[in-house]
Amino acid sequence: MKARTRKRLRGLAIGVAALAALAALAFAIAFFYYDREVAQQFEGRRWTVPAKVYAAPIELYVGLPFTIDDFLAELERLKYRAATELDRPGSYRRRRGRFEIAVRAARFADELRPAQIIAVTIEGNAISGLRAADGADIPVFRLDPLLIGSIFPIHGEDRIVLTPDDVPPLLPAAIKAVEDRKFDTHHGIDLEAIARALWVNLRAGKVEQGGSTLTQQLVKSYFLDGRRTLGRKLEEAMMALALEARYDKRDLMTAYINEIYLGQQGDRAIHGFGLASQFWFAKPLDELDLPELALLVAIVRGPPYYDPRRFPDRARKRRDLVLRVLAQQGIVSGEAAAAAAQAPLGVAARPSGGYYPAYLDFVRRTLRRDYKEADLTEAGLSVFTSFDPRAQLAAERAIETELARLDRTRPPPAGKSGLEGAAIVTLPQSGEVIAMVGGRNVNFDGLNRALASPRAIGSLVKPFVYLAAIESGRWNATSVLDDTPIEVPLSKGKVWRPQNYSRYANGPVSMVRALSESLNLATVHLGLDVGVAKVAQMFGRFGLDATPAPLPSLLLGAIDLPPIDVAQLYNGLANGGFHVPLRAVRAVVDAQGERLGAYPVKIAPVAAPDAVYQVDRMMTYVIARGTGRAAAARLPRGLIVAGKTGSSSDLRDGWFAGFSGTHLAVVWIGYDDNRPTGVTGSSGSLIVWQKIMSALDTTSWQPPMPESLEDMAIDYASGLRVTTGCSQDEVVVAVPRGTPTPYMAGCAPPSGIVDWLRGIIR
Amino acid sequence: MQRVVLTISLALALGACATAPYEPAAPVRPSAPGAAPGEAGVSQSPASPNPASPAPVPEPVPAPRSHRLGAATSALVTQARSASAQGDFDAAAATLERALRIEPDNPLVWIEMGRMRLASGDAAQAQYMGRRALALAAGAPREQSASWRLIAEALRARGRNAEAQEAARRADELAVP
Repeated sequence: MKARTRKRLRGLAIGVAALAALAALAFAIAFFYYDREVAQQFEGRRWTVPAKVYAAPIELYVGLPFTIDDFLAELERLKYRAATELDRPGSYRRRRGRFEIAVRAARFADELRPAQIIAVTIEGNAISGLRAADGADIPVFRLDPLLIGSIFPIHGEDRIVLTPDDVPPLLPAAIKAVEDRKFDTHHGIDLEAIARALWVNLRAGKVEQGGSTLTQQLVKSYFLDGRRTLGRKLEEAMMALALEARYDKRDLMTAYINEIYLGQQGDRAIHGFGLASQFWFAKPLDELDLPELALLVAIVRGPPYYDPRRFPDRARKRRDLVLRVLAQQGIVSGEAAAAAAQAPLGVAARPSGGYYPAYLDFVRRTLRRDYKEADLTEAGLSVFTSFDPRAQLAAERAIETELARLDRTRPPPAGKSGLEGAAIVTLPQSGEVIAMVGGRNVNFDGLNRALASPRAIGSLVKPFVYLAAIESGRWNATSVLDDTPIEVPLSKGKVWRPQNYSRYANGPVSMVRALSESLNLATVHLGLDVGVAKVAQMFGRFGLDATPAPLPSLLLGAIDLPPIDVAQLYNGLANGGFHVPLRAVRAVVDAQGERLGAYPVKIAPVAAPDAVYQVDRMMTYVIARGTGRAAAARLPRGLIVAGKTGSSSDLRDGWFAGFSGTHLAVVWIGYDDNRPTGVTGSSGSLIVWQKIMSALDTTSWQPPMPESLEDMAIDYASGLRVTTGCSQDEVVVAVPRGTPTPYMAGCAPPSGIVDWLRGIIR
Repeated sequence: MQRVVLTISLALALGACATAPYEPAAPVRPSAPGAAPGEAGVSQSPASPNPASPAPVPEPVPAPRSHRLGAATSALVTQARSASAQGDFDAAAATLERALRIEPDNPLVWIEMGRMRLASGDAAQAQYMGRRALALAAGAPREQSASWRLIAEALRARGRNAEAQEAARRADELAVP
């Protein structure tokens, strides 16, 4: 009996031992598997330094227009702090218009600029002095380039990656106190916490408390979906153990701070405390105070549930709980916690600023042509762009306010989305894109309409019809066009009967009037006479990849283009007939500061400069008295600009494209589903355009007139020549020298001259 | 079907045209030398075709324009020249573009950029930049002359000697003694 028992026991022991060995083996295999999995993922992320994208630095020089307020705003944007002593880089002090600035060291594409102290004097709204610390004049000085974003592998996800040095020490302490008190000592899982959570949840009959360590939370965010099953939990625990075995606590904490999910905006997931700080408070993490940090830590538990914008009461309760825990744990004093609990939530009204998805999309598309995705997302490149935060802000504000106003005046039907819009601003001479808005929700990384929404451009075609005509030498601004009904036979016996927007035919009109008032009939007559193929070629010459089919309807803009293509076409007009490929990227520099790629300006003459000048001059009358005149009174006084309205059939699209001497802006407004808007290019888009132009520091369009041309005063309606002061309706156009133009009746100089002129004309 | 083929081949033909940059067949002569006095290279206010207007006010002939670089641009040009001399054309180009952003309409900046491109071996860009400078230099004979000079050198580098000669002749004509 004894022997049998012993035998049985021995059998049992062997069985248990075998089972244990088996379990250990299974554990070892599983551990090995997860360890590899985890290591791969974690290394991939930990050593990933995404390409950093920088705005154009501001170039300071004597004579540059700058008000004291704007300069202060610029220092603020670059996070310079007012101080009494210039003790460290990144500080400045001011006495009236004199600034002393301790400039940080900064990397540019072509140099590493050491930290130094400079003095900037502003007098009469311009920089009047720029000196080094030793008093020597500095001819030109670049402020730090502003970091505007990073390039990440996953669409709709961006992050501000922090190193341990960037993190205020209070944050990891607070995270540990609230989420995982044993973080410093456990090996990935905290059995005690799990048991406690189990007990609490059993008593409550539902899941009230989680027992996950920070490591487990990190694993969940890295590798696993949100399902809560026992299998998942085991997998998560294995991975957490594997992570802990490989990496030290400091690395894990940094990874957690950069990884954890803290908010949602549409498709855009907000990961990491760096970005979350911008998202919720619109300022960098190291500027947050105790109640703000506590709120971020509170949100960790459930970003949608504790969303402080949607559920402020809930969020506040949990923030105050966090503050109490911090006091209990001795991380902050009881008084500090109590004072912090009195503070408002301090959440920024909406996530804004510092996120420019449309522009970053443009940058990324450029880089993808030349770099491998892995290089962009991992190799720590620096990308220097032509982005101008001030122009961007102006464009965003103009789109937002005007679309909101239009939606109020003509609300979209129930269930339909509101108007959308896009805008692009360029520097015509260099082809640099300085601002881009891809939709009215400017911070939303969704459809980038500026690049990806081809829409009918309508009358934006017309300047190219007139350019083809003038270049042929058979027409000029004084030529009389035929604004009368026309029937154009198409294939299969169909007939095209275009109409003017007013439905009214004006008879004979001057070319300058036909363009200014966007007369369709006159343009169709002209375009057919010039030749549709010549007009179509013009688009190829000005930079379209594919020359459009030479169909008569092209003359009235039956061609779908995204705003970026329109900007490319009009950039050539703004740049005197020279094509410059639009670009956002100036240079790419690797982690060691070596220049990898440069994108220098490239230029090609695409049209006769004197022909382009004549068309541009006519386009100034679009604003002065044509379809763009609503903008004239609102633009800065005396600013000469040229442009063109465009509206597609049934007003599905409203466009305005126009330029000053130093800026080109293109604006589109319409519905995403292409239904009619009831808004012409001369209302919505023109107003946005005018607001953008007014906000920029821009100069008049007044290039030197080509010597082959001369000014001529004509009667606006008839195109007949007048002596100054004779016609009520006089405009001055540019025509080729010696263009024979008859005088208007009663407006001719004394007869001797008329006879003399007749002699010339014959 | 035939029409489709026709349309496609037409589109292809047009596309082919599209890639070629616009270039005047030969250097154009907007103002023939030896024509009306005062026409050679100096931009006029509207030429007065009414010599006996009621109150004969003589049209003021504007003095020839001339361009100079501002202090900031000038410093950048100097910096670019030294980078260019060391063969660092990327850096020189980047520095000249800083100058271009400060004075985008100054023909001297474009001439400088063109010269740098010529030195780096990009004669086509040099020629086009010369053209750009020329357009911006209307009414300024000294800068027109310098633009033609650049164009001439670029054309010569491209082996287009006849055109280069013509451009050089225009440069000489406009040269201010």
